[in-house]
Amino acid sequence: MNLLGYVGRRVLLLPVMLVGITVLSFVLSHAVPSDPVAANLGERAAANPEAVAVFRHRWGLDRPLPQQYVIYAWNLLHGDMGASISTHQPVLTDLRQHLPATIELAVAAMLLSLAVGIPLGIVSAAKRDGLVDQAARTGSLVGVSMPVFWLGLMALVIFYARLGWAPSAGQLNPRLPTPPFVTGFVIIDALLAGQGGLVPDALAHLALPALVLSSYSIGVITRVMRGSMLEVLGEDYVRTARAKGLSRRIVTLRHAARNALLPVITVIGLGFGGLLSGAVVTETVFAWPGLGSYAFQSATSLDFPAIMGVGIVVASVYLLVNLLVDIAYAVVDPRLRMS
Amino acid sequence: MLNARAFPVSRRPFLSTRLPRVFTRSPLALGALAVVTLWVAVAMAAPWLAPYGPLAQDIGDRLMPPTSAHWLGTDPLGRDILSRIVHGARLSIPVGIAAVGLAVLLGTLVGSIAGAAGGIADEVIMRVTDLMLAFPTVILAMIISAALGAGIRNAVIAIMVAWWPSYARFARGLVLAAREREYVEAARAAGASSVRVFLRHILVNIVSPIVILSMLDVGHAILTFASLSFLGLGPPPQIPEWGSMIAAGRDYLDQAWWIGTFPGLAILTLVLGLNVVGDSLRDALDPKLRKG
Repeated sequence: MNLLGYVGRRVLLLPVMLVGITVLSFVLSHAVPSDPVAANLGERAAANPEAVAVFRHRWGLDRPLPQQYVIYAWNLLHGDMGASISTHQPVLTDLRQHLPATIELAVAAMLLSLAVGIPLGIVSAAKRDGLVDQAARTGSLVGVSMPVFWLGLMALVIFYARLGWAPSAGQLNPRLPTPPFVTGFVIIDALLAGQGGLVPDALAHLALPALVLSSYSIGVITRVMRGSMLEVLGEDYVRTARAKGLSRRIVTLRHAARNALLPVITVIGLGFGGLLSGAVVTETVFAWPGLGSYAFQSATSLDFPAIMGVGIVVASVYLLVNLLVDIAYAVVDPRLRMS
Repeated sequence: MLNARAFPVSRRPFLSTRLPRVFTRSPLALGALAVVTLWVAVAMAAPWLAPYGPLAQDIGDRLMPPTSAHWLGTDPLGRDILSRIVHGARLSIPVGIAAVGLAVLLGTLVGSIAGAAGGIADEVIMRVTDLMLAFPTVILAMIISAALGAGIRNAVIAIMVAWWPSYARFARGLVLAAREREYVEAARAAGASSVRVFLRHILVNIVSPIVILSMLDVGHAILTFASLSFLGLGPPPQIPEWGSMIAAGRDYLDQAWWIGTFPGLAILTLVLGLNVVGDSLRDALDPKLRKG
């Protein structure tokens, strides 16, 4: 199969998967016979039969479950995910406001993990059982065993409260003017509005949460890169390159590392899910105004439409990222699309 | 995560000869095993080990720093942190085991059916697991908690719902591999029905790798449970649980660092111990990573 065919098939499958995701989050949140009227309307409105009737009709709650789903999906297609109880805004507006901050945090953490994990994995494998290798292996084990919320709190106490190196929680210094909302990404919005002076402050606020969030993925990427390097270093062509008289350094970097990167690409996609999960927890610690904080607020106030919206958006982002990763993989590794 | 390829079938008995060797060869693995054993012992002996009751309040001794009376200090209600941590182990360890156990049970059932049935059923089940895996665990847990409410039981259900798909994929891979083996073919040739082949020849042979390898995920489950508790989706605050203890210490981190710091160290040491033990076992099981 050629590349275009492979990509086309995957892209065509995407809408089917997205529909699946809406069905799944609908089923999950309706698996229990709870009364959404009481949860969504509040006591006063729920006591008013007229309001209850309007609500029930709007969401089709007087109909069987499959029909309810069709109504939900129909509303969803028209950009209506219902209104959040806690913010009294349309869920879609809320999501639009919170998603960019989470993507900013997750992407920063991912870049950090790659920048640290890949070189560390290469060195670990090249000098197996050496000092770097031992330290990296111990470090990555500690990283994947660390409760990220605890690490975040400790980091805040040490670097903000005690040492004063890091700014307080949040996305920007509250005394600085917030840039007008265009893309939702603070750094981009600041540049668009010509407020370039905000960028250093935004980056400083991003540093600590991104570092904390990446503690897990750095460990994962280091381990995958190391394992993959060890496998590649045992291949015949690496031995051939060495036998040809090329230096160890050139063989490690040019012959081995480039090919060893392939499995890391897959981990980027899968690891993104873990990052989104971790972001939820990290955001609540650092008062980061992203989807995680919003999901937390919605889950604790039983805000049904909001939490379903978060689920659908996060799962869709995950699918999209993995689609892009798979396409990237097919581009760099022709063996995959041939099979 | 689990990988069917990483579990080759070996002629040498795993439990009696290869398993002990993992620990006699590596001091790190042995140390980790000691840490885990210690925590299990602490959990079992908690009522005798804890110097105070986990719920006992002493308002006169509020926010005490670590002293000889309270080794790890006290919280804002004057409860002894050490006693609460010791009792917390009684909750975290069984919850971690239960969550993984239930996920493995469901996953193995669904996955082995998919692998054995093949065709449409296999395709549908695998696509559902694809979809499930698109939801991050914590988000899924939040959806479930929003529907069921917070609590220990619901947190376990949430982890189970989030994790069974990966076990299902693992079990399916093992079934597909086992189906091709000679003894299965022999049984089929001898006229055994497909149900009998599945139950007597395939299932029994995939159960032990699944059980051994999945138990290595208990550390991850303990960590996830603590995260859910930290977010308020676990047990109510008076119950001694490590994640919610850290959440309770949040507002006092500057003046009473010990409230949140020690439960975090408890999670870290237990989960690290479990992960090191797990890692050593995985290395021993995967001949590709084994030296020489």
